[in-house]
Amino acid sequence: MKKGLRWKIILTLVVLAGCLVISYPVKEKIKLGLDLRGGIHLRMQVITEDAITMETDQEILRLQELFKKNSITFTSMIKDTPGKFAIQGTIPDQERKIKDVLDQYLRDWDYIFAGTSASVSLKPLAVQYLKDQAVDQSVETIRNRVDAFGVAEPIIQRQGKEWIIVELPGVDNPDRVQNIIKQAAVLEWKLVKAGPAPDEETLLKDYGGKVPDDMDALKGDPKRRAEGWYLVSKVATVTGQDLRMVRRSVDEWNNPAVAFSLKPDGAKRFEVATGENVGKLLAIILDGRIQSAPVINTRISGDGSIEGHFTVEEAEDLVLLLKSGALPAGIKTLENRTIGPSLGADSVRAGLLAFMIAVLSVMTFMIIYYKFSGVNAVIALILNVIILIGALAYFRATLTLPGIAGIILGVGMAVDANVLIFERIREESALGKSIMNSISLGFSRAFSAIFDSNLTTVISAIFLFQFGTGPIRGYAVTLIISLAANMFTAVFVSHWIFNVTVTKKTKKLSI
Amino acid sequence: MPLVFLKTPNIKFMKYKYAALAVTGAIVLAGVLNVTVGKGLKLGVDFGGGTLIRVMFKTPAAVSDIRQTMRDVGLGNSTIQATGKAGHEFQIRTMQVIKGIDPQKEVEAHEQLANRVIEALKGDDGQAEIQRGLKDLNTIDTRELTSLLSTAYPSEAAQLAEKIVGQRGAPAKGIFTDYAELSEAGIQPEVITFLKDKTFLGKLTVISKETVGPQAGADLRRKATLATIWALIGMLVYIAFRFKLAYGVAAIFTLTQDVLITLSIYSFTNREINLPIIAAVLTIVGFSINDTIVIFDRVRENTKILRKESLENIMNVSLNQCLGRTIITSGTVFITLLSLYIFGGEVINDFAFCMLIGAIEGVYSTVALSCPVVLFWQNIFKTKTAFRK
Repeated sequence: MKKGLRWKIILTLVVLAGCLVISYPVKEKIKLGLDLRGGIHLRMQVITEDAITMETDQEILRLQELFKKNSITFTSMIKDTPGKFAIQGTIPDQERKIKDVLDQYLRDWDYIFAGTSASVSLKPLAVQYLKDQAVDQSVETIRNRVDAFGVAEPIIQRQGKEWIIVELPGVDNPDRVQNIIKQAAVLEWKLVKAGPAPDEETLLKDYGGKVPDDMDALKGDPKRRAEGWYLVSKVATVTGQDLRMVRRSVDEWNNPAVAFSLKPDGAKRFEVATGENVGKLLAIILDGRIQSAPVINTRISGDGSIEGHFTVEEAEDLVLLLKSGALPAGIKTLENRTIGPSLGADSVRAGLLAFMIAVLSVMTFMIIYYKFSGVNAVIALILNVIILIGALAYFRATLTLPGIAGIILGVGMAVDANVLIFERIREESALGKSIMNSISLGFSRAFSAIFDSNLTTVISAIFLFQFGTGPIRGYAVTLIISLAANMFTAVFVSHWIFNVTVTKKTKKLSI
Repeated sequence: MPLVFLKTPNIKFMKYKYAALAVTGAIVLAGVLNVTVGKGLKLGVDFGGGTLIRVMFKTPAAVSDIRQTMRDVGLGNSTIQATGKAGHEFQIRTMQVIKGIDPQKEVEAHEQLANRVIEALKGDDGQAEIQRGLKDLNTIDTRELTSLLSTAYPSEAAQLAEKIVGQRGAPAKGIFTDYAELSEAGIQPEVITFLKDKTFLGKLTVISKETVGPQAGADLRRKATLATIWALIGMLVYIAFRFKLAYGVAAIFTLTQDVLITLSIYSFTNREINLPIIAAVLTIVGFSINDTIVIFDRVRENTKILRKESLENIMNVSLNQCLGRTIITSGTVFITLLSLYIFGGEVINDFAFCMLIGAIEGVYSTVALSCPVVLFWQNIFKTKTAFRK
């Protein structure tokens, strides 16, 4: 045997062994896509405007405090649009002083003075930064929630400016998971100024039918059996950010509840507020809905519990949400796909069966039509599939339905490469060339067609991968791998098999 | 003697170049007309937005019953299709047009619509049982089942729940019709007795529920179009570089015909265009370009050997020389696709149908169209299309 030939065989065996090792066990190494495995695919939009609104509200409150501290006169601060507010009723004499405060504390804001008022707006760069932050934080928060809920191999990634893709394979309770993902989970404790009242009108009777500036009118959450309307202070005593620990507990009637304790700073504020307001109500508010409004019986230090006729699951989910923190902005669903496991399982089983039948019949045909050379092609084909599986395992690729289409095209082109070569060998042989010569010419003359057609397809697949979405990318990946393997098996391996089996003494080529 | 279908034949393919062009023109025109002013393309949820629900019933149901139920809740224009397990599985696409000022609200409206469909199909099935505190074993998730089982079998609850839910989601299943099926999965009789006491078998389960909003649909549409166009440009440039511009143009021309004809077949057969279908169309394009390049490669080779022949004759010779290979390769591809079509299951079926038609058409477009286009290009632009060297 020639030395070059020996190395070719060794190289092939190394590749074969490598692929087998990498892909073992196949079931664990090759992940199935959602369409084949079942699960949830969500595309969501972060309402980034919310983050700007929140920032504006916070800065207005802060600035009001600062103005009071620096004894700056003003009548009101009104939010125009998210990221823009107006200070009204200022004294022109104090303009210098106001500018100093703004320059010192509101560095991300631009301002214009006009007589007794000023317009303050967030700098465009800061707006961009805040929006960006909101999306990144949302991704982080959702990841925490999904991890806490316990989903294996979740994909949570940002897409473009304000979209988030969430893929949760194998999840069988879509509604619950979605609620967990989408809930803002902003928890606040606020002092109740009036209420409960049966409706908004009754509630506001003592206030001239208008909600005072420093208060909010909120409704009880019927799910928590907190009926009626409440008027609560706009400023929260403590919020979810002050929580140190939350866990599921039970109330005095053994109903599920959520126990919490506060961080030292929040606990101090909580103690002061409850101490000053004994006998009044303290509302616990989740996402703008009052969960419960218990009476403050005594000064409370940093521990307490949230009660409200929870089911075990609701209490568990609330603990999970509070632990992973609130979303910085609202979230809307753009696309929601829930695929049950049985649908995918059926596809996999049927697809695999069809693929097996197809491959077997093609192999049978090749052996009948090309006899011994057909066996050669079949070996190349099997090797091709093994390399494909090995590469998929190595790249941790997910196999999807379109991915199977990519494999079909790849295998089809692998068979075609062999057909091209064999037909060419027959042609050369029919022209009266020797067996060895025909084989050599067959391979070299068919090569340019195989190379060009494979490369053209690879080029198109690269573009599909670059510009396509999930399923189309899955197709491109399997196709590229398959064609790369094809160049190796159909051209390289097949050739040395001929070289090993056909010698100068061979009288007739079985083709 | 080798087994051959055809000795290198001598068919005057190029004689029929005008006929081929006329046939192509007619098909493409019919397709374009059908897609634009005729039936049009039916966009599936992926591109068109909306909701697609697949449900499975415990006992067989008729399409007409489901349609009546839909009509009763004012969703009579939904399309209902029997799929998979006969009589048990159905696919419902709500066609309600939801146009809001706020596109973001549309998804939620679609989701509510989907829930309405499911509620309507369920009717008051299981209401009494739920009132009594029983759980539906056909929709319960692993977590909840675990906590239910842990009251009686604390140590093996998780394992049992997984087994039961696994059995329910096994291929060709999806729903329990009888508690006896549990014993097939090796669940002990006492556990089954316990479950009979605490659960019931609801009449239907939702296999999949897909909602795509207008923004997401538009994005998917845009990306799929962009990806396809770039892929075509990539091929054009490569072929023009390796062969000549005329060949690149001819290849793209052939592919455009492939895509158009496949799409119009979809339009004629009322099938919906979804993301996997795009992959199928691309696969057809892949096979077709492969065929085309094989022939161009032979033309390239023959122009160097048969220097005195006209390009038309060279093309004829090349087509004939490649014919055996074209038939064999297409035959194997056809076998593969046919088996996918027959055995591939409902999800793959549509997909395989598309490729099957495309594979046949792809051979036609390669043999009949690719070479004539090169010739026409040469005649129109008077370029030298033969290869030097």
